[in-house]
Amino acid sequence: MNTEQLIRELSRDVPRVSRHALARRIAIGLVAGGLATMVLVTLVLGVRPDLQVAMHGFSFWMKWTYTVSLGVGAAYGVARLSRPEPGSLRALWWLAVPVLVLAGIGIGELASAPPGQWLAMWLGHTWKVCPLLVLLLAIPIFIGVLWSFRRLAPTRLRAAGAVAGLAAGAWAATLYCLHCPEVSALFVLTWYSLGIALAVGAGALLGPRLLRW
Amino acid sequence: MTTSEDELKAWMVMGLGGDAGAHAALLRALVPLLHAFYRRRMRGAEEDVEDLVQETLIAVHERRASYDRDRPFTAWFYAVARHQMVDHFRRRKVHVPLEDVEAILAGEGFEDAISARMDVDRLLDTLSPKQARAIRDTHVDGKSVAEAAQAAGIGESDVKVSVHRGLKALAGRIRGSRA
Repeated sequence: MNTEQLIRELSRDVPRVSRHALARRIAIGLVAGGLATMVLVTLVLGVRPDLQVAMHGFSFWMKWTYTVSLGVGAAYGVARLSRPEPGSLRALWWLAVPVLVLAGIGIGELASAPPGQWLAMWLGHTWKVCPLLVLLLAIPIFIGVLWSFRRLAPTRLRAAGAVAGLAAGAWAATLYCLHCPEVSALFVLTWYSLGIALAVGAGALLGPRLLRW
Repeated sequence: MTTSEDELKAWMVMGLGGDAGAHAALLRALVPLLHAFYRRRMRGAEEDVEDLVQETLIAVHERRASYDRDRPFTAWFYAVARHQMVDHFRRRKVHVPLEDVEAILAGEGFEDAISARMDVDRLLDTLSPKQARAIRDTHVDGKSVAEAAQAAGIGESDVKVSVHRGLKALAGRIRGSRA
């Protein structure tokens, strides 16, 4: 096909693109993936029976604040890296804040508990499955973000994959909170973060392959 | 000179608003820019250049949601074009011989040169025609004062004064726009 024909072909269908099209597309990808993950959490894992009670407690909100703030920061990173010239990504260092705050809370927990309980607090009852479940639950959300990228223009594919993995992992962890009965900050800091980090690593590995255009 | 940043951006924004005519005008105006951009870097592989131009036009069309209306269009556009070329090399597993890297790197300055040229044109448009011409002749095109004077049919001192006043006005304007 010659170039003039191509241009005529492309200009036949020129839909309106709103100012917020990029943010909307990323939001749709995250929400659609999140809904799939939500179905998995409720149908396969099951919502914790004491959720009503837990929602009045500190640890539930501590967990949610941690995972939601990572998720919001990661969504910002996805939006930045979906443009071909993302500019400086230094703002992503703010993602260290929730980690540091949670570490602070964890140190407070240790200080107020007898050393004999430390190991039990750290491992909880579910440390063996938590990181893996977070990683698996991240898959639908990761696919959602991949869909978002399809009409956007990431050029730093490894970074875009990593930040997509971070968004997927953090939002998956947020939904996993509806199932997970663990209460200690140290548990969340270690095992949730490990699951999210696995998702980041998988995203960084897959990004250059899956995001090519 | 090719189409200016302002014009390209206006077409892009109208295209984003659903104006198919402006979108077609934009794509047409991008073709010579892409040819120049790729030809400098691909040296000789004419068919590859043609493929790349078309692939980039498709990418510009399909991925236009990633353009931020508040930023320069050409920066977005050349980032897309550069990515297309890198991907093209990667796909064909082309290895660039070391001596050619220099040529490619030299070509990299081209995009900056084009956008700088656009900025200069826009700034000069704000001056009187005589001052603009004097500055363009002596500072952009590299003529001597005598040549510029002869070409414009004015005296040499007139050229010097025009350049001096023009540059001063520009300096004031740039300072003003940064303040």
